[in-house]
Amino acid sequence: MIPLLHYVLFSSTLLLIGGYGVVRNRNAIVVLMSIEIMLTAANINFVAFAEFWHDMGGQVFALFVIAIAAAEVAIGLAILLSLYKQRDTIELDMLDLLRW
Amino acid sequence: MLEQAWLIPTFPIAAFLLIIACGRFEPLRSKFVASGSWLALLGVGMSSAVSLLVAWEVFTGDHSPYEDTWTWFEGTTFSFEGGIYLDGLAALLLVVVGIVSFLVVMFSIGYMAEEGERRIRYYAEICLFVGVMHGLIIANSFLLLFIFWELVGLCSYLLIGFWYEKPSAASAAKKAFLVTRVGDVFLLFGLVILFSTFGTLRYSELFADPAVLAEHATELKWATLCIFGGAVGKSAQFPLHVWLPDAMEGPSTVSALIHAATMVKAGVFLVARAYPLIVHSPDTALYIAITGGFTAFIAASMALVMYDIKRVLAYSTISQLGYMFLALGTGAWAFAHAGGDAYAEAHGYTAGMFHLLNHAFFKALLFLGAGAVIHSVHTQDMREMGGLRKTMPFTSTAMGLAVLSIAGVPFFSGFWSKDEILAAVRHNGEVEPIFAVLWMMALATAGMTAFYMTRLWMMTFTGPTNDKAHEAPAVMTVPLGILGVLAVVSGFAIFIGDGFAGYVHYGYHAHQDNWALLDHILTASGTHLSVAAALSGIVLASLLYYWSPLQTKRPDRARFILENQPTAILHHFLSERLYMARLFDWFGLRCWDVIAAACNRFDLLIVDGIVNSIADYSIRAGERIRRLHTGFTGHYAAYSLGGLGALVIMLRVVLPLIGWSP
Repeated sequence: MIPLLHYVLFSSTLLLIGGYGVVRNRNAIVVLMSIEIMLTAANINFVAFAEFWHDMGGQVFALFVIAIAAAEVAIGLAILLSLYKQRDTIELDMLDLLRW
Repeated sequence: MLEQAWLIPTFPIAAFLLIIACGRFEPLRSKFVASGSWLALLGVGMSSAVSLLVAWEVFTGDHSPYEDTWTWFEGTTFSFEGGIYLDGLAALLLVVVGIVSFLVVMFSIGYMAEEGERRIRYYAEICLFVGVMHGLIIANSFLLLFIFWELVGLCSYLLIGFWYEKPSAASAAKKAFLVTRVGDVFLLFGLVILFSTFGTLRYSELFADPAVLAEHATELKWATLCIFGGAVGKSAQFPLHVWLPDAMEGPSTVSALIHAATMVKAGVFLVARAYPLIVHSPDTALYIAITGGFTAFIAASMALVMYDIKRVLAYSTISQLGYMFLALGTGAWAFAHAGGDAYAEAHGYTAGMFHLLNHAFFKALLFLGAGAVIHSVHTQDMREMGGLRKTMPFTSTAMGLAVLSIAGVPFFSGFWSKDEILAAVRHNGEVEPIFAVLWMMALATAGMTAFYMTRLWMMTFTGPTNDKAHEAPAVMTVPLGILGVLAVVSGFAIFIGDGFAGYVHYGYHAHQDNWALLDHILTASGTHLSVAAALSGIVLASLLYYWSPLQTKRPDRARFILENQPTAILHHFLSERLYMARLFDWFGLRCWDVIAAACNRFDLLIVDGIVNSIADYSIRAGERIRRLHTGFTGHYAAYSLGGLGALVIMLRVVLPLIGWSP
């Protein structure tokens, strides 16, 4: 039996890695992937605590998160695709039309 | 008949409603234009007939006031009774308004004949005026009087502005309304004081107990002063006299009816009505007398130099109204001075009311005559008139009678009443020196009156014959003739029965021996002085404007007045109306400027200042804060992660440290 603390440390590490990816990367696709990593961290927490508390609600929530993450990636990629068609770039630094 | 007195205002007001209703109804309109005047004449005539009958009944009855009331509205501690209050004073006014209004409406049929469809409005407004003026006279409380008082002011405004497309007429109407409104506010104050002191505004209750009135001398002083303020506005006394000369922008018939014979007398009527209150305040009485005497003097002096025929008459009206107030103030002062006992008399009251009666006839005649002249020559400037005696024989004769009457030539009506006033003032002058001064001013005014009226008649009617003019039609000359007769004979009312004072008096009235009175009048030194003043005025005016060897052509009459330095300065000063009108304009504009500047500064500094500084600070804060929006997605993500971290530290570290647990 793996103690709960390991799960929590693991998911925290994933979250920080994902956050670092979001903050540091300029490529929109990589940012999207980093967000997925952060969602995975949340999912691990859900499942771990579901096991710990013997409550299936956490697992159900994890399934919801996976479904919604899939939808989000689909929409995000579609936006990036049309963005690329219009602006010839998906570099986030270049998308500064509304900047002061 | 007294029970039917409510019919008096009802007839003209019904005519007003009928004329307005039919005049607005398109199919009837064109046919109605001509008949509207006859409807007005019918309505006014019926009310005149009823008012004469009522007045006859009052005069021949036992001299106690008749009152007929109905409850108008009730409160928990008071109730207001509307109703009719008839005494000698009201009856006198009914006679004046009844006769003059009928004759003026009759005259209007000729005078306004060229006005087309506008006559509907004219006759409607005239009918409304006659109705509310009668209502003012027979009202039984100061409150009801105040309502009618405002309504006659409204009619005056509407009729002065009858030719409203003329800017001068429109502004004159506004001026009249606003200036009289200043007085009306005072009147309202006075009524508030009266009501809060005595709890009633009904004449019969207010006047019932002189002892109660005497206890509240201070309140009465202020109340009567405020009431007199109302009279000052309505009767165009100094310093609120400025509106009346401008009111001459209205049709001459309106000037004759409203601004000479009836509405401006409402102020005199009000003071006479409040007499039982005023006699308890000698201060007010003295103030009334001084205002009246001073106004009479300065208005007469301004009338000396006016060239507009109607303005001369307007100043003359102000002057004669001043005489009436002088008389009323004198009488009240004498009554108070005598201690108000059972034998105290108020000669001035009778004299003032007598002058009111006579003045209504001869001044209405003068205005209507001026109207006939204007109708004929289409100008109001007397320098462009002249030579109308041959072409307008009837008008010139009638106006001549009125001139002799107002000038105070013996045995014409003005002579009797003016003499009574002068005698009353002089009598007071033996006790109080102020009245001696007022008497001298009044005597000088009598001389000036004779001068400017003679000047008016000479400038209008004498000189090379003017062939282009024509005599007025019969519908206009008949009222002139009737008024001419009245202007001559109304003065003999002093000898009817127990004398005029037998019908209209305040305080004690002794039985009068008419022959002794006649003998007294004809032999008194005061009479000789006033006749001398009148005759010298007439002779001087005739010398200047008729026989003058200095006159060459008509427009150059009395030119030397303008060519000599001292007289020219005086002439200019008087022509500029003593700079009163300019002073008022200047003062008004200056006040306006100061208030406007203050408002402007408040607006700029406070109102705009708050709004602008809020906007300014928002803009400046925005300039700074927007630097946070770098546009780099990474920065935003870092902010939100940083925020998350901060939240965690807050919840897990800081709050537990300060002893707070979620």
